Amino acid sequence: MREKVGIGIDVGSTTTKGVIINSNGQIVASSIRSTGASANDAAESVLDEIEESYGEAIDQSVVSTGYGRKLISIADREVTEITCHSLGVHHIFPDVQLAIDVGGQDSKAIRVGSEGRPTDFELNDKCSAGTGRFLEVMARVLDVPIEGLGPLALQSQNPCSISSTCTVFAESEVISQISSGKSPQDIAAGIHQSMAGKIASMSRRVGIVAPVVATGGVALNPAFVDYLGKSLGEDISVPQEAQFTGALGAALLSIQ
Amino acid sequence: MASNDSKERAYRKLESSSLLQQTMFRYMLEAQAASEEGKLAWVTSGFPVEIPLAMGLGVSYPEQYTAVVGSQKVGPEVCGFAEDLGYSQELCSYARAGIGSTDRPDDSPLGGLPEPQVLLACNNICGTVLRWYEAVSELTGAPVFLLDTPPVQRRQPSHHKEYVRAGLEELIDFLGEEFDTSLEEEKLQEVASNSTKAIDLWTKSLEACKHKPSPLNCADRFLAMAPVVSMRGKKHILEYYESLLDEVEGRVQQGIGAIRNERVRLLWDNIPPWFSIYKFFNGLAKRGVVFPADTYTHAWTGSLEGEGILNRMVDIYSNVYLNRGLRAKVDKMTGLIEEYDLDGFVMFSVRSCKRYSLGQLVSKDLVTERTGVPGVVIEGDMVDSRLFNEAQIQTRIDALIEMIE
Repeated sequence: MREKVGIGIDVGSTTTKGVIINSNGQIVASSIRSTGASANDAAESVLDEIEESYGEAIDQSVVSTGYGRKLISIADREVTEITCHSLGVHHIFPDVQLAIDVGGQDSKAIRVGSEGRPTDFELNDKCSAGTGRFLEVMARVLDVPIEGLGPLALQSQNPCSISSTCTVFAESEVISQISSGKSPQDIAAGIHQSMAGKIASMSRRVGIVAPVVATGGVALNPAFVDYLGKSLGEDISVPQEAQFTGALGAALLSIQ
Repeated sequence: MASNDSKERAYRKLESSSLLQQTMFRYMLEAQAASEEGKLAWVTSGFPVEIPLAMGLGVSYPEQYTAVVGSQKVGPEVCGFAEDLGYSQELCSYARAGIGSTDRPDDSPLGGLPEPQVLLACNNICGTVLRWYEAVSELTGAPVFLLDTPPVQRRQPSHHKEYVRAGLEELIDFLGEEFDTSLEEEKLQEVASNSTKAIDLWTKSLEACKHKPSPLNCADRFLAMAPVVSMRGKKHILEYYESLLDEVEGRVQQGIGAIRNERVRLLWDNIPPWFSIYKFFNGLAKRGVVFPADTYTHAWTGSLEGEGILNRMVDIYSNVYLNRGLRAKVDKMTGLIEEYDLDGFVMFSVRSCKRYSLGQLVSKDLVTERTGVPGVVIEGDMVDSRLFNEAQIQTRIDALIEMIE
């Protein structure tokens, strides 16, 4: 008899992620790619890739999540990223109380209740400060690859103060810091500190209760996690599947 | 009653809505006639309108008009007329649309409001109304009267009541001088009695929504409240509210809900997004989400009948909850959630209505703490659709529903 599996696809604003999980809830195939201009195309490609990686096409309901969850035709059911991230993070860290997900264009703080269901949440508003996009803009201004921004910041002993919470104004502020001779390390540290402060402020609105888990692409940035931990006054755990927790949550719902 | 059911819409149309349209049409005609006679007052929604009415004036409500601007989806254009004059986009969109339509009536819905002879503002709902009316005064030449109602914290002290009472007497003098008229006690009794009856009928319709399924949804109430706001004190609106109450009670008796498949009952806080009112609430109705109560349409309450009407006006008009601080707002929300047996609540944070939206984050936590039901804050505006991101709002409400279910 064919094993029962679950499929979840998280169509984020920047990247689309897909996973197949087995009946034990373990990820057996995963894929990530740019969402690009067509959420549907990205989702179909990701589905093809995870099925190819798994070794066979699967006749199983697909649950979609993420900003583009309603835009894809292959989904049988769509569930918000808040519910899916909560379930996904809880699956990896069963005692998690606060999940912080920072994606390409949005960030969220979720209080995770029993059985992984969200009990409260906050999302960033119509603003890219506190998202991966903020870091992308700053990396471009500092002329470093996005992957290099976090390690650069960790070399700083004296972070600059970046006071603007708006990406565009913060960009101007960073340009001013460069022209005043501040080191790229200190500026990079200031950027992370500013972003962590904004996320921490959003998280306080749902309540800071340990254990805290950070997910999303930005959670792979060590400087961000470091400054977020300092801002919250808590240690932050980052799962290996940081970018896939939304898709994992969707897959868990699919297998149910 | 259920004649529209054959279309299998999620949302049931009210049969009394045709009478509502006629009633509102009459309101516009009367205001136009009053303006032509030189007897039109523009008033704020929480103004003790019974006094100008009893003194023979016609009234128009700029807030109600700007809601029409919003519902006709021309908020950005009409607000833009005020922005062209130099007013900030951060200013209340009711004020911007009001100032913009006064400046360019020919480019505004219905040709703008009829020209006013006086502008009557009461700051019990917010302080912006005074500045808004001062701007309109510059454009029209009509003088502004402010009925000042200082904020009430806990119990209202007697000197405070005396101050507001003095304001009412000043109002009577002001109108008497402006229009060469006087206030007759008998006429005031009649208008106050009509007001009380309309509010009573309205309150009964609202309270019928405690039943399951709820006979009215949010969009129903936001439209049906128009006469009690803009024609409170006029006898003819009683016919509409009797008709509405009959229909509502009929629905309750037959177990017919405002929406076809009621599954989740939510509270709505704040003014609605007028430009999306049907799409927004009907979209949720398709998913079984109904709003049996809201803080906004429950704001017109109280009786003015009997002796001492002016003192009753002081009590009622200076104690509206927007004039009482966050504690009263939280009490109101908690009470509605409990009385209407609601599963959660949506707080619409209206970017340009600071007075209604201030403190919502704190209120949200307090209401959840007291009632045990979850809530969500969504952000947008009531008239200016440029400040409304539908996808972001949808995600937040979807997540709330998933939390409840």
